Formats: sequence, structure tokens, C-alpha cells
Amino acid sequence: MRTVEDAVGAVLSGAISAITQRSIFNRLGGLARTPVGQLGPVERQTVLKELESSLRLFARGSSAELLAACERALTEGTGGSSGGSGATAGTPGSSSPSAGGATPAKGIHKTFAVEQEKDIATARLEAWSEAVRIGLSKFTAVKVATAVSELARNIVFYAGKGTVELRATEDDRGPSLHIVARDKGPGIEPRKLEEIWAGTYKSQRGMGKGLLAVKKLVTDFHLDTGAGKGTTVTCVFRGDR
Amino acid sequence: MKRSTVATTGSDGRSRTSDQNLAIIQIRNCLLVSIQTELHDQLALDLQESLMERVRSADARGVILDVSAVEVIDSYITRILNDIGKSVRFMGAECYIVGIRPAVAMTLIEMGVELDSVNTALNLDLALERLELFQ
Repeated sequence: MRTVEDAVGAVLSGAISAITQRSIFNRLGGLARTPVGQLGPVERQTVLKELESSLRLFARGSSAELLAACERALTEGTGGSSGGSGATAGTPGSSSPSAGGATPAKGIHKTFAVEQEKDIATARLEAWSEAVRIGLSKFTAVKVATAVSELARNIVFYAGKGTVELRATEDDRGPSLHIVARDKGPGIEPRKLEEIWAGTYKSQRGMGKGLLAVKKLVTDFHLDTGAGKGTTVTCVFRGDR
Repeated sequence: MKRSTVATTGSDGRSRTSDQNLAIIQIRNCLLVSIQTELHDQLALDLQESLMERVRSADARGVILDVSAVEVIDSYITRILNDIGKSVRFMGAECYIVGIRPAVAMTLIEMGVELDSVNTALNLDLALERLELFQ
């Protein structure tokens, strides 16, 4: 599948050095690896905004022309030629025949595997763009990204691998984003848990305050942990409306 | 000192190396590091180590870490920044974190995480101005 990186890279080659391109794509994180066909409108806007500031700095020719070419490259694949099968609710015309709720655009459900440090950054960026997309405030989006960062880091540090799941819902009180971080690691001992909630726990690698920090950031928080069953953290960010 | 190894790009434009080091820039007797990438374990340790060395060899009075490009600071990165601040302070220099974004600051407050081993300044200019007082 043609990713954002492929599409934009083809336009930029010749105008921008490979090294600069690399740093631009690194800044885009997970978005760079997203297939063009699955790019939502807000995500596309995010990519273009990032490109705009980079091109202004680095492009040898006219940055406006290059940007327009990038925009074309990113809109092309979405028409239907490359067929994003069952893609997210990006294009309003092609509503996929999924279990139709009242607000299909909000019914996004994504799961990411978290195993290495770079996955933490990916999960964080995805959570951020998801939060912005469903209409949470800019500040809340940073909180969402920070919470996901803490949870993903806990998975990498203490469990080795696991998943982070993002689910957006909407009710009459406004949009909310549900985050589920799940691993099959060693679980947290009851004694350690007491220390964690008291704020006295000190870990070797971090501050030992990650879980407590997440609990303070979110609207709803639920922890399920124990030896042998791993750890599952469920939390909700609610939009203030 | 050899710093900044740049990621190489494969023919498919896909290879990703994570072993980039951060450049330490010296301005007068002050060291400046602009953090633009993900601070992971090894990178943070390398940074701490090379900063300590440079503080000594350059007789630095101050170390400034610019985090204005960092969009998310979690408790782990806070710990790294605090550790760097502590080690710099042990050596007799002052450490300034500059450019913390408003949303990041709000989040840190809500999380109850402290940045207490470093000084902060709104921007690079103000940090330099404050460090000038120590000259």
C-alpha cells in the first residue's frame, strides 16, 4: 500500500535532500507510515501543516508549489483508484457498511502493538491525532498523548509487550476517548500497588509515578492487575461540552 | 568529540536508525542542547554523560536544554530532565529548561510531577540573560 511517506517522498525527491526528508518523516511519526487511502481529513491537514513549515525552511524552489504537489499526492489515492478497503470513515461520501451507530465518524476503533520504545511515540501520536479529530480541546489532546505515553512506557518497561487500544464514542455530553492498555506481563503486586497510589513508589528506570499521573489526568480510571493475568488499564477522556 | 550521527536512508527510503546523538552547542561559557527527538533511555544517558564532560572541559557555568519542540513530556522524561539538572548542579553549573509549552506545563501540574532539580525560563534569551548574572 502506498504510504504517506511514499507519496510525499516521490514529490520531494530532487527538491529536498534525503536526510532532510528523513527528519520530516520522523517528525510525522506514525502518520508517515499510514497508507494514503486511510488518511482522515484532519490527519491529512496535520501532515500538510507539518510539511508546510518544513518546506518553508528547506525547500530550494518554491515551497508553495511543492506543498500543492504534496497535497495532490495525498488526495489522489483516496478517490477510489487504490481502493482503501474498509478504510476509516475518512471520505464522507463512502460510508462503510459497518455496524451503523448514530454517529459513524466517531465509531473509530484502533489497536496498536507496543513492544519497543519507538512504539511509544507512535501510540502517543496516534492518540493525539485521534483526540483532536474527535473534537477534544488542544490541551486535552496533550493530556491524552501524555497518558498514552505513560501507559505505553509501562508496557515496554515492565511487561515487554502489549497493546494500546483507542476507541472514540459520543453521547449527549460530548465526545470521549477510551484508552485501554493491556499486557500479559507480571502484573503489579498488591504491596507495590499501595505504594504507587500513596506516591511513595520509586522505580529503577522511571519516576514510579506513571500510573498515579495517568489516574490524575483522566475522567475515569480502572485498573485490573494480578500475578499471572497481566495488567489492563482502562481510562476515559471526556470532552468538556 | 564526535556527535550527531545521522540516520542513513536505504534505497527504499525506509530504514530508521535511532542512534542519533544530540548536538551540544557552546555559547560563551554556556552549553545549549535543543531536544528535537524522542528522548529514549540510551540517548538520555549519553546526553547526561557528554554534558558532564563538556561542563568540565568548557568550564561551563550553565546548561540550557531547549524543549520547545517537545510536544509531550511524561513522568519518565521529567525524571531524565531532573537527573540531568542534578548532575549539572553537582558540578557547580546551573541547568535551565526553556520553552516548555503551556499545555505541557498544565499536564505536568495535573499529574503532580515536579521539575524541581532544574531552573526554567520562558525562552533561550531569558535563560541566557539570567545566566549572565552568574558571570
